[in-house]
Amino acid sequence: MEKNFLQSSIKDSLFTGLIALALFGPIIGLRTVAQNEILVVQPKWLLVIFIVAICAVGRFLINLYTFNRDQKAGHQSSIGKSIGNFLDTKGTQIAISAIIFSIIFPFLPFTDRYLMDIGIMMLTYIMLGWGLNIVIGLAGLLDLGYVAFYAVGAYSYALFAIHFGWSFWICLPIAGIFAAMFGVLLGFPVLRLRGDYLAIVTLAFGEMIRILLLNWYELTKGPDGLTGIPRPSFFGLPFKSFPEEGEQTFHTFFGLEYSPMQRIIFLYYLILVLALITNLFTIKIRRLPIGRAWEALREDEIACKSLGVNPRNTKLTAFAIGAMFGGFAGSFFATRQAFISPESFTFIESAIIVAIVVLGGMGSQTGVVLSTIFLIGLIEVFRDFESYRMIAFGGAMVLIMIFRPRGILATRKPTITLEKKKG
Amino acid sequence: MAIKLLDVENLTMKFEGLVAIDNLSFSANKDQITSIIGPNGAGKTTVFNCLTGFYKATAGSMFLNKENEKLNLRKFSDYRVAQRAGVARTFQNIRLFPQMSVLENMMVAQHNKLMDASGFTLLGLFNSPSFVKKEKEAVEISKYWLDIIGLTHRADDDAGDLPYGDQRKLEIVRAMCINPNLLCLDEPAAGLNAKESAELNKLLLFIKNKKKTGILLIEHDMSVVMEISDHVVVLNYGKKIFEGTSQETKKSPEVIEAYLGTDE
Repeated sequence: MEKNFLQSSIKDSLFTGLIALALFGPIIGLRTVAQNEILVVQPKWLLVIFIVAICAVGRFLINLYTFNRDQKAGHQSSIGKSIGNFLDTKGTQIAISAIIFSIIFPFLPFTDRYLMDIGIMMLTYIMLGWGLNIVIGLAGLLDLGYVAFYAVGAYSYALFAIHFGWSFWICLPIAGIFAAMFGVLLGFPVLRLRGDYLAIVTLAFGEMIRILLLNWYELTKGPDGLTGIPRPSFFGLPFKSFPEEGEQTFHTFFGLEYSPMQRIIFLYYLILVLALITNLFTIKIRRLPIGRAWEALREDEIACKSLGVNPRNTKLTAFAIGAMFGGFAGSFFATRQAFISPESFTFIESAIIVAIVVLGGMGSQTGVVLSTIFLIGLIEVFRDFESYRMIAFGGAMVLIMIFRPRGILATRKPTITLEKKKG
Repeated sequence: MAIKLLDVENLTMKFEGLVAIDNLSFSANKDQITSIIGPNGAGKTTVFNCLTGFYKATAGSMFLNKENEKLNLRKFSDYRVAQRAGVARTFQNIRLFPQMSVLENMMVAQHNKLMDASGFTLLGLFNSPSFVKKEKEAVEISKYWLDIIGLTHRADDDAGDLPYGDQRKLEIVRAMCINPNLLCLDEPAAGLNAKESAELNKLLLFIKNKKKTGILLIEHDMSVVMEISDHVVVLNYGKKIFEGTSQETKKSPEVIEAYLGTDE
């Protein structure tokens, strides 16, 4: 039995090596280089052998330690299980300590400009993940075009702020409403679609919005992008190093030395508050009838109809509310960058947000945070090795799928319980 | 005398030339259990799908008497049949929300009522007292029904984790949560053992007698059909071949030939 298992593991890992060779041989092994104005093929066999060896040995180790191939599919590895149990039981404590950490984060001694930027970026992705979690995790509608709403939010914020000079706090809800309207616009034609078909149509919708932004030059300045988007001010007090005559700025009002970090810290808290609002809203709405109807729709649409639940309204509200939070995140993005162009809203952004939601464990709010830290953090760690960033990203996804096939936090807590009412 | 609840007249359903239901007329009374029986493929489930709005009938009419109001079910499409006319149904292959708890399943069934109470979510977001009160009532109703089928202790477990027989019963009481005028049950006894079907009979009689809800029942299990039905409609190839009480049905030569079979 034991020997058999070892034998099959070795066989399996050799087979994996073979597949890796077939894949990486041509892709990595053969490289064309320009030499004296002609293209020459330069083989890089050492690198290929190295990568194939990694794949084969990795597969062997996975076989030994996690997959027991005799057991049924869906079986979770023991390591994955213990991590999972820890996360499942300690979910609330983790969430609370994460919030406290993120509040004091800007004032920690090691925090510098670079870390703050990563923090802001992560919080933006967390907010997007929480927004998309409503659509994918709760309502079960696989939306691959979520970045469209992010773009709509960013552009409507930028256009209103530039042309009308309205402040951030007025433009933010407007951008949210615009994005929600686009959510309904997308929702209507896809009401009857589910699963793969829905994914394809939403993907196309995301691309449509990007191409529209690229070509509607009069409004969006096309590929040139929109510049000079007003920076947010601290309740009317701008962040400026040299205030004009008689103008109050943030640092003069509070009697502080001017520092560019002040604005960064303000932006950090802004996105933190926006993200937490998204989270609180989602937690609350899950317990309301509409949230329960979303989840019921994910489970069984026909049963929903037989109980008189209106599937059209239920789906549209999910699209609209998910899109609204995407729009809020978009306005934040616009005001932080002060420059937006369609290049920031490509499909890869949608894919990353979907990956964050799915790998976090569909419907789990804490899972979104964990997978964002894992995925975005990894991309950042590998920033210096430019071309290997995406490999690291892919590797992270593979690892999560091996150890936690249903996402980092897969358990779902009921939205209402009988026990609590009794006690 | 019995009050007429459902009146189906000349119902016809065609699927591109295939006639699934052919000029079917029957009626069901309030406070009665009406069974629809017949061989496989006779069109029983199609009748249900027409009644509950999942199919649009090709021709004919279906009238439901709801508190002195005569509603034409053909005018309602899918979810509106349950919402407006109060026709609830269960499915041949159980359709619960498996990853939601038993109590949540019951709460979803009370969605429309709760949705109104939550002021389309706005009042609910701020925990308005009227919504909290309505939600408590809904939990009480759920608890009432769970007590009847003896599943209160499992209210917080996932519906998909329940044993098969309990899932069947849960689907029936979930349908009762929409407070229906007519309850359509599609093979509720399929896959149940003798003890479980006896419990099912008790539950259905309770719904009929105490809740005064008319029941329309598709069933192959003759012990269930003969014991509890007040009225039996027999279908074969989309046509009605017999209608009468269960005693009459048992003796009818057409029914014996088409469906029941002889003892030898």
